Amino acid sequence: MFERVKKLIAEELDVNEEEVTLEAKLDDDLGADSLDAVELIMAIEDEFDIEINDEEAQKFKTVKQIVDYIESHQ
Amino acid sequence: MKTLKIGQLEAKIPIIQGGMGVGISMANLASSVANEGAIGVISAAGVGMFENERIKDFDYENTVALTKEILKAKENSSGIIGVNIMVAMTNYKELVQSALDANVDIIFSGAGLPLDLPALLKQNTHTKIVPIISSARAAKLITKRWISKYNYVPDAFVIEGPKAGGHLGFKAEDIKQNTFTLETILQETKEILLPFEDTHNQAIPLIVAGGIYTGKDIHKFLSLGADGVQMATRFVTTVECDASDAFKQTYIDAKQEDIRLIKSPVGLPGRAIFNPYLKLVEEGKKHPFSCPYNCIITCKKEEAPYCISLALYNAKIGKLSHGFAFAGTNAYRAEKIISVHNLLDELIEEYNNAL
Repeated sequence: MFERVKKLIAEELDVNEEEVTLEAKLDDDLGADSLDAVELIMAIEDEFDIEINDEEAQKFKTVKQIVDYIESHQ
Repeated sequence: MKTLKIGQLEAKIPIIQGGMGVGISMANLASSVANEGAIGVISAAGVGMFENERIKDFDYENTVALTKEILKAKENSSGIIGVNIMVAMTNYKELVQSALDANVDIIFSGAGLPLDLPALLKQNTHTKIVPIISSARAAKLITKRWISKYNYVPDAFVIEGPKAGGHLGFKAEDIKQNTFTLETILQETKEILLPFEDTHNQAIPLIVAGGIYTGKDIHKFLSLGADGVQMATRFVTTVECDASDAFKQTYIDAKQEDIRLIKSPVGLPGRAIFNPYLKLVEEGKKHPFSCPYNCIITCKKEEAPYCISLALYNAKIGKLSHGFAFAGTNAYRAEKIISVHNLLDELIEEYNNAL
């Protein structure tokens, strides 16, 4: 699962897969701005066929938080 | 000038009077503009601050006042009346509902991404929804989301460039270094939306805003492929504008160097007419306040040296020693106060001369 998320994040944020660690922060480490973040959430919704509401989405700071969210909502 | 079509609506003049918050564009200005065949816009920001002297429930009074204000404008005009509601308002959904209760013609929505606005329309098919954006990326994102989640093609976009007044959707450095221009954002947005327009066989009109001041400017942007323009600054110095005379006079008195970028407490850069009040803020001589309204999600209440709603309220009623006026880049060019009718005549004449 993490592999799929990693690939998706690398693609959406245009970074190398090696940079996408569980601890990586979306803004500071991966350079995501507010539009990137929304794009990423939409891509995750499509890829994993889940719905992420805006309040939850705004809480995502690290890759781990995203992975945990997907695991608990699939 | 060609007409501006947004859904089933058709404006004779392709000019939208931009929404100006906290009492500057209310029913009087919006209906006067609509009566001339352009599109009049009421701003939802702080619309309920003028009914009673003491505000008990800010959110509630704004939502009630918005419905009333739209109905008042519609009573005075059979033209097109829109409303501007910022996504960043804490009671955004309630404000959208009050606009729909009044069956407003168009909802313009910026200061954030209105990602779920189509859901709020429910059964309403009359009201058109138009996001305000500052980049092609945002246009693409909203279009993709609205189509995939709601099967809704945006009725139009307003593209607000770096020369606009009030809060701006750019970083201060990028504005100062002229990183972006309205002309290029327009071209990029056109290109990015083309595949969606083709697939859905539906045109998405683009309206440009920010720094458009004369009929010649309008001609330039329509030639570049825009379907309409949004202008706000020009409408401040009209008889019908809902601001106080003192507010309008700051525009007449302003010199070019007075139009400056400021840091707004809501976390965005803003363009305003610099005055002694803003000087005190800049010098750190304004003191922290207690937040009376909790009106904007992104407002940094703990750090803010002043309350933006109160400062703009004071400016609107003419107490400029306790507030300031937001304004576009060209506000210093205003020389006198004229009627909306004469302003539009002048713009059309300048436009025709540029043909």
